[in-house]
Amino acid sequence: MILNKKNLTPLLESMAAGRDVFVPARVDGVAKFALFGEGVECAFDLVNTTMPPKDLLFPQTQKMYHFDVDANGNYRIREYDESREQVVFGIRPCDMRSIVCLDEVFLTKGFVDEFYANAREKLLTVCIGCASAAETCFCESMGVDPQAAPNADIMLQDCGEVYRVLAQTPKGEAEVANWAAFVEEGDAEPVACELSLAVDMDGVVDKLEGLYDHPIWENLSIKCLNCGTCTYVCPTCHCFDISQDMRRKDGVRFRCWDSCMFSEYTMMAGGHNPRPEKLERVRNRFMHKLNFFERRYGMSLCVGCGRCVEKCPVALDITRLIDDIGACDVVPVAQAE
Amino acid sequence: MSGIEISHGCAKGERPLIPQVCRVVEITQETPDVKSFRLQTLDGKKPFDCMPGQLGMFGLLAYGECMFVVSAQSDEWVQFTVKKVGLVTEQLHALCVGDEVSLRGPYGNWWPTEGCKGKDMLFIAGGIGLPPVRSFLLYCLEHREDFGRIDLVYSGSKYDDLVFKEQLFEIWPNEPDMHVHVSLYREDPQWSGDIGYTAPYLETLDLGPEDGNRVAVICGGPSLSRTCRESLVKAGFDEGNIITTLEMRMKCGVGKCGRCNMGGHFICLDGPIFTLEEIGRMHSDV
Repeated sequence: MILNKKNLTPLLESMAAGRDVFVPARVDGVAKFALFGEGVECAFDLVNTTMPPKDLLFPQTQKMYHFDVDANGNYRIREYDESREQVVFGIRPCDMRSIVCLDEVFLTKGFVDEFYANAREKLLTVCIGCASAAETCFCESMGVDPQAAPNADIMLQDCGEVYRVLAQTPKGEAEVANWAAFVEEGDAEPVACELSLAVDMDGVVDKLEGLYDHPIWENLSIKCLNCGTCTYVCPTCHCFDISQDMRRKDGVRFRCWDSCMFSEYTMMAGGHNPRPEKLERVRNRFMHKLNFFERRYGMSLCVGCGRCVEKCPVALDITRLIDDIGACDVVPVAQAE
Repeated sequence: MSGIEISHGCAKGERPLIPQVCRVVEITQETPDVKSFRLQTLDGKKPFDCMPGQLGMFGLLAYGECMFVVSAQSDEWVQFTVKKVGLVTEQLHALCVGDEVSLRGPYGNWWPTEGCKGKDMLFIAGGIGLPPVRSFLLYCLEHREDFGRIDLVYSGSKYDDLVFKEQLFEIWPNEPDMHVHVSLYREDPQWSGDIGYTAPYLETLDLGPEDGNRVAVICGGPSLSRTCRESLVKAGFDEGNIITTLEMRMKCGVGKCGRCNMGGHFICLDGPIFTLEEIGRMHSDV
């Protein structure tokens, strides 16, 4: 089945009836996923949005529950579910891979995060493959195929004039059944995406076991500003804070994105901070991406989207770090912790 | 692996982020800045069932919530022992009996009560480190026949800071084959007992590893933990027979919000209880 690119807008208009459809767009100069509708121009020419689509599943600020005071002056919890049917249309394969990571974090290990689970269940993912790559893209090195995303409900492989349509889940099949007016029978060959940036991950995870006290981290952290930009633009960074707001007798408990780059992140009430300096924080972030997550969930927490490489104000580059780790003369340790 | 086997990542639960409203049914002033709070549900029941050593997120809806080890429990209540150190704990200290609070949990793993059966137990704590350790100690006393000799080595910076004084000085010393050793870090007009920091004091007590039959349980600040660990290893303890409960800033309690990681492990979910042998194999900043 193929979809002519000329039919994209009519298809989106039909999909947006009664549902929120998010598409890549430039909003106030920032490339991100925006609600499709009047005044929003789809930017399918963008290889990658500046902001990842993770906020559709894990909003930057999310109300968890209200609490208010009853007639006796006692607090009562009122639950709150903001989740609704959403479609993300035009998400890229790297960002689809990030959802594999987020699913592991929020849905496994004995506790299901209900806020994420509700949003995830109601999200339809339509992935568009990449025919070209940005200079900072290195997804292939992280095991992502720029023209494939096995966990997307629907995969649209870029074949130049048309997309090759693959319905990959029951949810995707049900959706594509409504696309008859926009698609046609046929097949096409996906354009081969050429990436200019690559890293060699061979041995990196295991080498990191022996590099915890290596000068590599000191060299890396010297120029880091701890600004947190990398964590905000990262599609897999998922740390959050929980806080509350009270207005008169009405309160809300919410969570919001947090960053391991900030010293307050681990600061304890008694004054002790286990990661007091940039060195510990930078090391923890990269170890989490390249080693800790791999050991815990069996996959890398870096998907090679290149956002942090592009946006870091001091050009701190994870691909160069990976090269440096590869060049280190240490014995790889394959055992899990 | 040698030493005591500890379960990790064994807690499970539904709707982990939504608290229940509970009521404070009893408050004990333990020291000038430490209080214990017994909590029940609004209909007078125990808020949750938990194993000794597990955690609960106890707080006030309007001010926030903090993670504590359940310091004691019965069939009717759970208890938390709270030192006043920050914004939330200051508000908790202002609570009165009958007030409502928020509580969620239980989280984390628990003391290896089965694995320690038949062992001599050496509990080591400093200051506010005693409440977490006490949850295990109380279990041992309730199941006295399952354990050998019990030693408690406890110290604090001044007499007023010692928690659970009645148990320390009147109840526990009279338990069968239980030996309580208390020291203060410096001279105190109210104190005529031993003086010394925990680790050197511990060394004077000559409590050896008993050929692997004695298990040490440590809870204290970073310097206490480090020095006592060194003393125990010097005395011949296997690191697999030294157990500790760790602390770190926590928000979610279920290994998702990210901050309490120690390498690829989360203290709230996989911990807080580990052997030193396990910690030695991790990339730990704690």
